[in-house]
This record gives sequence, structure tokens and C-alpha cells, in this order.
Amino acid sequence: MKHIVLVGNMKVGKEGDTIVTYALGTSLGLIAYDPVAKVGGLLHAMLPLSKSDPKKAEANPCIFVDTGVPRLLEEVYNLGGEKSRLVVKATGCSRPEGDNEMFKIGEKNYAVLKKILWKNNILLETEDVGGAANRTVQFNVSTGELSVTS
Amino acid sequence: MAINILIVDDSAVMRAMILKSLRMTGLDIGETYQAGNGQEGLEALNDNWVDMVIVDINMPVMNGEEMIGQMRENPATADIPIVVISTEGSEARLERLREKGAAFIHKPFTPETIRDTMRTMLHLEEND
Repeated sequence: MKHIVLVGNMKVGKEGDTIVTYALGTSLGLIAYDPVAKVGGLLHAMLPLSKSDPKKAEANPCIFVDTGVPRLLEEVYNLGGEKSRLVVKATGCSRPEGDNEMFKIGEKNYAVLKKILWKNNILLETEDVGGAANRTVQFNVSTGELSVTS
Repeated sequence: MAINILIVDDSAVMRAMILKSLRMTGLDIGETYQAGNGQEGLEALNDNWVDMVIVDINMPVMNGEEMIGQMRENPATADIPIVVISTEGSEARLERLREKGAAFIHKPFTPETIRDTMRTMLHLEEND
């Protein structure tokens, strides 16, 4: 089954599923995957910190990196994923306006992600972040394969 | 086989960060030893079985380059793999260290860089 993740959202799946997200710009695209249980998820988080709008974060934690990442991990664990086997890959966090960008949202998203992973003792297996591109991400849950195109 | 690691850096915070990064790599880490300068590092090598040394360059008492030099002259420690983690920017110095077979990681580092360097040094497969 094919799942499509909209901005500020997340989908998890199991063997046979493909999870896709489009137009990933400054947002963070994060996949977490357990190759043994063959379960995984894709998060498309828009902004770095939930403290900028706690009410929104409560209604939908996936808008923010600091609340979305723990939620993604939780959901993958709920499907039978194990932390010791977890493969985590990051993409997105671009700067479409180049060096002139004022808010540097992409960079902030990436910085918050790295902090959360460090606290949780998780390393990124691969990362394809930054640059000016808008990315499309396809995650094949059967194989763990991640295809990033821009 | 678990690998025993010696971390030599004059900053306790840095030693703790390196140690945490090592534990995050998923590699089988055995005993770990810590030292605050090159002299203490050599003493730790004398007293313990160490499979890999991670060392800073700029430290008081004895710097990392001198420690590496002495390690390479001693048959007991000459073949231990060495990773230098430092802010060092001098290309000449880095070249001298590479000639002694040391890998180099620039500070500030990410834990992923440490994992990738360890994998290369230990000739591990990507998913091993």
C-alpha cells in the first residue's frame, strides 16, 4: 500500500508498504526503519521547536521536529521495531533562498534533530540535507530503500 | 571481539563526548581507559591491553604528536591503530601524523564521523 505524508505529518508502515512525501524544502524528512521487523515510518516536520506554538504541537506533534521525532520513534516501536536495530536517515532541511535566507529554518530543523538523536543515543545512517533543492522522498518499507529525488 | 579503547584528551567533557559517541556506534566496546595528556596516555598503555587509541594533539605535559611518536618507537605499542581527534589545522603536522598511520577527525566532530572512521579502521562491513 502506498501512503502519502503531507507537510507536518507522519506515516508508518510494514512490509509491502511504500511511504512517500513531496515538496520537502526546509522541512525535515526523517525515516526510521527496523530491517528485521520490516517496519518503518516517515516524518515530514515543518518547524524546529514546539515552544513556538504549544497548542498546535499538542494537536499535531508532527509539525515540529522536537515533538515529531519522538512520536515517529514511538510509532515504529509500537509496530514491533526495536531501538537496537533502528536505521535512521535524514533528508530535507534545505535553504531554498540560498545564503540570504533570513530564518534558516532548514538549518534549525537539522540542528534540533541532531540534538534529539544525541540525547537518545541514535546515529544517522545517512543524510541528504541542505542545498537549495525541493526533494521528493520514497521509502520502501519492504527493503528499507530510500529514494530521494529533486 | 570487544575492543579496548584509550581516550587521551585534556578536556574531561571532550573525553565523555567521544566515549558516548563510541557507545552509540553499536561496535563491541570493551574496556575504556582515559588519560589527560600524552604522558598519562603512555602510562595507561603500559598498564593495560589497548586495541585502539584516540588522542588529541594540543595537551599539556606531553602533546599527542609526541605520544604517538613514542608509541611507534615501542614494539609493544607500534601497531596499535590511532585516531587523532583535534582542532589542529596545520597541514604539515597532519601529514606527519598520517605518515605514522593515524586517522584524523576534525573538531568539532559529529558522532557519525566517529562511527564512519571506526568502521574504516576496523575494516567492518557497512552493516556489521
